[in-house]
Formats: sequence, C-alpha cells, structure tokens
Amino acid sequence: MAALFIITSCKKENYALPVASDKLQDQAIKRTLGPNIVGQNIEFAYAMAILPTKGKLVSCVAEASIAGAAGTYMENRSFYTASTGADVGVTVGSPSVTSKTTTTVTYTKDTSAATLRYYYVIPEEARGKTVTIKFTATSDDGETKSTTMGPYTIAKMDMKLNMKVTDGNLMYISIADTAVYNAADAATHAANIDLVYLYRNLTTSAFNHALVAPAANAQYLPGVTLPAGVNRTAKLLKTFNMQDHNLAPNLQYSALFIDDLDFQKLDLSGQPNFAINLKQEAGVWVETADGKYRAYIFFNTVATGTATVSIKRYAL
Amino acid sequence: MVYKNLNLQFNTMKKNITIALFILLAATTWIACKKNTPIDEDGLLITSRRECYVSSFEMLGPDFVSVRVGTALIDTMAQTVKVTLQFGTDLKNLYPQFTLAQDCKLTPKIAGRTDFSDTLNPKKWTVISGDRQIQKTYTVNVSVQPR
Repeated sequence: MAALFIITSCKKENYALPVASDKLQDQAIKRTLGPNIVGQNIEFAYAMAILPTKGKLVSCVAEASIAGAAGTYMENRSFYTASTGADVGVTVGSPSVTSKTTTTVTYTKDTSAATLRYYYVIPEEARGKTVTIKFTATSDDGETKSTTMGPYTIAKMDMKLNMKVTDGNLMYISIADTAVYNAADAATHAANIDLVYLYRNLTTSAFNHALVAPAANAQYLPGVTLPAGVNRTAKLLKTFNMQDHNLAPNLQYSALFIDDLDFQKLDLSGQPNFAINLKQEAGVWVETADGKYRAYIFFNTVATGTATVSIKRYAL
Repeated sequence: MVYKNLNLQFNTMKKNITIALFILLAATTWIACKKNTPIDEDGLLITSRRECYVSSFEMLGPDFVSVRVGTALIDTMAQTVKVTLQFGTDLKNLYPQFTLAQDCKLTPKIAGRTDFSDTLNPKKWTVISGDRQIQKTYTVNVSVQPR
C-alpha cells in the first residue's frame, strides 16, 4: 500500500498545452469606479475573440435596459498598451450607431480578436433605478456570444462641478437650483437661496471664506445687505479631508466617493447655520430649511474674495 | 525473587512520578492564583503614581481641526482650564482633548461631541491619579474670540 502511494506520489505528470476553445468567446469588465451619477459615463471594456481558422468577427452590440443619454457610444477602435504605457487604438470597425437602447459597431477589418470600449451616458430617466448592459458579439460563422453586466444602481443624487463664487457678486447659493446668483438674480429667486458666500480678511479673527445661511446672526454676515426676501436658514457642518473623487477628480488624494447612502444617514440635527474660516479642500454638509435637500459643497480652490466650489446634492 | 525486585522498583518509580506530578500541579496552581498587578474597572493599570493634574488641553471643531486661539491656560491650583475659541465656533459641537499626568484617567469619559454653549454652567471633568486615590475636578471655561 505504502509502495503504491510512493509510486503514485512520485509519478511525473506530463504538462499538456491547454487547448483553445474553438467557440466564439467574450469577456466584459466595468472600468469606472464610484457611484453612477446621471450625466456621467459608465465605461466598459468588452473583449471578444474567435479562432482565425474558424472565422472573423462581424459585429458587437451593447444593449442597455434603459436607453443611454446623448453621447452614448462604443469605440470602433481596439486598444493595446504601448511600451510607453499609452493606450493605442487600432480602427477595426465603422463608428458605432446607437438606436434607442442598442449601440452597434460593425467590423470593417478582418478581425478575430478585439476589445471595444463602451461609454454609457446615464440618462435622467435612470435616476434611482437599476441598469443592465447586455453585450453580444457575432462572428461570420453564425455564432453569437453574450455577457450581461449589472444591474447597476443609478444614484439619486446629482452633481455640479466648478461653480465660481465671488464675494460681493456671485455670492448667493441655491441648493434647489444648484446655481449661484448675484444680488439682483437672488432677489428673483429669493425663496430658493440657502447660503451666502462671503470672504472677510479680518485682523481680529480668522473669518476668511465662509458659507452662512441668510437667517444667521448678523455678526456672521458683516457688511452684507441681503436682497429682499432672502431669509432662509439651513444646517451646516464643516468638514475636512473629505476629498470626493467626483468633485475633485484631479486631486492626488481624492480617493473616496460620497454616495446616496451618506446623504441618507447624515444627521445634521443641532448643527449651526453658518460655517466660518473655510479653506481650500474643506467641505460643508448642508441641509436646506425645508428639508428637501441635503448637499455636500467642496471648496476646490480659493483665492482672495473668491472660490471655486463643487456640489453633490441629494433630494430627500 | 527477581520478579519481586522488579515489582518493588516499579512501585518506587510510580511513587516518584506521583510526587513529581503533585509538585507540578501545586506550582501551576500557585502561579495561577498569584495576584497580578491590579487593574481598575476600565481595565487600566493601577499604579503607585500620585500625580493628578491636566498638563495640556485642546479643543477641536466638528471638522476635527483645532478652534483654539493661543494656548489654553491651565491652573492646577484652582483646577481650571481657560480657553479662547475662534470667532464663529459653534459651542454646541466641540471635541475637547485633555492630556493628563502619567497613569491618570478622566471622568466622565468624552464619548463624542460636547456642548459648551451653557457658559454660565461650565463643564467639569475629574482627573483621577494613577493610584486611583486622588481626584481633582477641573472646570473648563470657554470664551469666543470677538470678531
């Protein structure tokens, strides 16, 4: 028995080269990270291949469960990575044609293997729903192969990037409109003004950049004459080191994503209606007075009397 | 005769093993029952140190960035901490941080954000010495820098 065991253990197994499948094959990956926000892309890479001796690729189709917004397309180039690390595209088909939910690339070159990228622009009608994408490859020997990706939940929140605020001019911020107004425009949108941006360089205290609700104590709005009807309050919570990657994609350390769940769990009870002494890369969580919106305002850049802010907003 | 001797030797060996096991058991029991250095109800070491004071104090805002202006004034005789905070500090949402003498502990524990808005009734914390025999209650007085 022991001898048999030893013989079996020592028996050398001959390595055999794996035999490539002679069927049409495919594989898909999702390339984008983070929450899926309306207006943003979800990017996929779809690879398909067939043995050259069996045939060549004819077409590639991506079918979304909800039609993508304008700008949805599939690359007609297959990419490889050059020695420099750069992606180099080789045209293999005609430009993609999108009709309702389907986007198609028809191969124009004799191709037996390719990886095509698909960019799905998230439409407004997908907000709060789930989306699936079905990729199908077809070869000229009549074979088809499909892979379905998802379902992916589309975030309820929306986002607006790089809004410039200026003390004394574009200083009235509306969360409901996700817009910045000057005094004259603020008067016409008075019911929607939630915050006032101001900058004060004081020698007696560190005031600097501030977001203050119009209804806050006047000491936090020095020298500000509010337009008629601008009188709402809000709840604000200062934060730091919350560099959201969607709001600050170019920041080196912006590796986190604020998602719907963060807004759902946010508790701003007992928070004040002002945030003083804000710096670059600081953020402020906001809840509007009517309880309709929660938002996160990020200070991308600041300069004397002005700042560039980006906002993520969630409708409750 | 040979058999009798062998039996005698075996009995002696058995006796020796029993004695050795008994000694080992006694030693193990003694070590196990020996009282270790004492710890308190929080699992902290009770030492012989009798120092009991606050050595430094910090105040953080809701963004966990310091809102203190200048150094906090700590009077170990009067047992007070006086700290001035930046203009615009929301007194309801602050995180105090105490640095204590070695082996001391603080009560009540600081579990989260603390409300300092009732300035007429300033917050108090008690420092307990390393030997847990001395207690000193510190009053923290906060004021906000004018604009």
